[in-house]
Amino acid sequence: MATPTSTQGAQLSPEEIGFLAGGPGRAAETALARLLDAELVRVARDGRVSAVHQNGHGATTSLEARVLKQVRTPVWFHKVVKNAAKDQETQALHRRLLEAKLLRRSRKRIVVWWLLVAIGVLLGLLSLLMPALLFGAFAFLWAGLYLRGRRPLTRAGKAAVSGTPASDRVFAVARYGFFGTVAGQSVHELFELPKGVVKTASGQRKPAKRRRTGGSGGSSCGGGCGGSWSSDSNSDSGGGSSCGGGGGCGGGGGD
Amino acid sequence: MAGIADLGVGIGWRPEIDLTVERLPGVDFVEVVAENLHIGHLPESVTLLLDRGVPVLPHAVSLSLGGAEEVDLARVEHLGAVAEAVGAPLVSDHVCFVRAGGLDSGHLMPVPRTRDALDVLVANVRTAQRNLPVPLALENVAALLEWPDGELTEGQFLAELVERTDCWLLVDVANLYANARNIGTDPGRFLDEIPLERLAYVHVAGGVEHGEVYHDTHAHAVLPEVLELLDELCSRVNPPGVLLERDDNYPSDTEIASELAAIRAVVDKKRD
Repeated sequence: MATPTSTQGAQLSPEEIGFLAGGPGRAAETALARLLDAELVRVARDGRVSAVHQNGHGATTSLEARVLKQVRTPVWFHKVVKNAAKDQETQALHRRLLEAKLLRRSRKRIVVWWLLVAIGVLLGLLSLLMPALLFGAFAFLWAGLYLRGRRPLTRAGKAAVSGTPASDRVFAVARYGFFGTVAGQSVHELFELPKGVVKTASGQRKPAKRRRTGGSGGSSCGGGCGGSWSSDSNSDSGGGSSCGGGGGCGGGGGD
Repeated sequence: MAGIADLGVGIGWRPEIDLTVERLPGVDFVEVVAENLHIGHLPESVTLLLDRGVPVLPHAVSLSLGGAEEVDLARVEHLGAVAEAVGAPLVSDHVCFVRAGGLDSGHLMPVPRTRDALDVLVANVRTAQRNLPVPLALENVAALLEWPDGELTEGQFLAELVERTDCWLLVDVANLYANARNIGTDPGRFLDEIPLERLAYVHVAGGVEHGEVYHDTHAHAVLPEVLELLDELCSRVNPPGVLLERDDNYPSDTEIASELAAIRAVVDKKRD
């Protein structure tokens, strides 16, 4: 069994859409969602996830198989997501999406960026009096431009996410996470899961504010914000970078 | 108490499958293990079911009414308190002992079917009844051994117990099947001998054969033979309720729903 490999133009798997829409945590949530959908795992009201069968059968991807193996004995929902987000299968998924040019390596906006821009602007103003400073202004502003940060989603990646509707509850998790909403309904309700269980999966973060109705992404930073990112499929303006770059973990966009 | 209200088809509520029980269609009542509930801290799921009007019946496993030692009134009082907390019309335990000489068997041990043992059981049941706010039903257990020098059949033993204590019966057809397989109990005779008019409800559960022994595991699918025994029972009496017990290795919601549907089909067949 292998995680389906997809490339641009091909149908992306829910896990791939999940990764693009919300990072490794979302991919992990999506794998869990598929297992829930197939009744291969169950969740109790206290938030513990357990495998329905002990034989590991039924997984359709390597990540699902890892999750199934993990929950042979009950594991807290948020731990399942956190562990799966850091799993080597999720890292492999990341690599495949990079190779498919649906993702690029993100660059965080560093603190000194503001200083570089400020100096650049200052030099630009001073160059009115002393034209030689114009070169310095360009240098600082160029450095600021380079270090402004970069969201990981490529244009193709964004198109893939925005072009994939939440056609079923697994894709709904991929797009918006368990804590998100789709068509005015909380995604966790599609799985008849109490909100308390989902909150633990989402690190109890509030969903990101959306500009449009129809869908909103909850945070899926169960794996921690490091290495997670969000995408905003409503916007072509390019995304913010990962959590450290101020983009927040809220992912997904409206349909 | 004139009779047991119609309970329908139910399932044993367990924390591992609380959400499953909540969303399964056609769960008319549930049973909770009384020892696992704490007064004042009822599980949210149980509270939710109560709010929906689903009857919740406490089922005890530790009263050890068949034991020679005095009844532990604290356990009886806890059972009664749980019954009051969930508004249960009755409670239940087993015709067994689980403690002796300071040791806990960890298993529902069968009672010797002698008149002396029956006297002890009757006295203990009466003590429990005096300290319970609702009627008590007692369940036949699955036995892997039979004590020597038995003077009564299991059916006769239960019939006399009911006659002398006015308790209700909780008939576990899976236990009856296990006893038929393992110690040669005649299920037809058992059903002939027990006072079916005192039937509170019925348990159905799964098990597995290992070697020459059938194990009432509550962790495997319900055998068709057990459903046949339920069918046989239903041909004699319309049981107020039938409940599926599952305690481990929980299958998918669909599989549990399928087992409940199979039980309901047997019950409804006789009611049509």
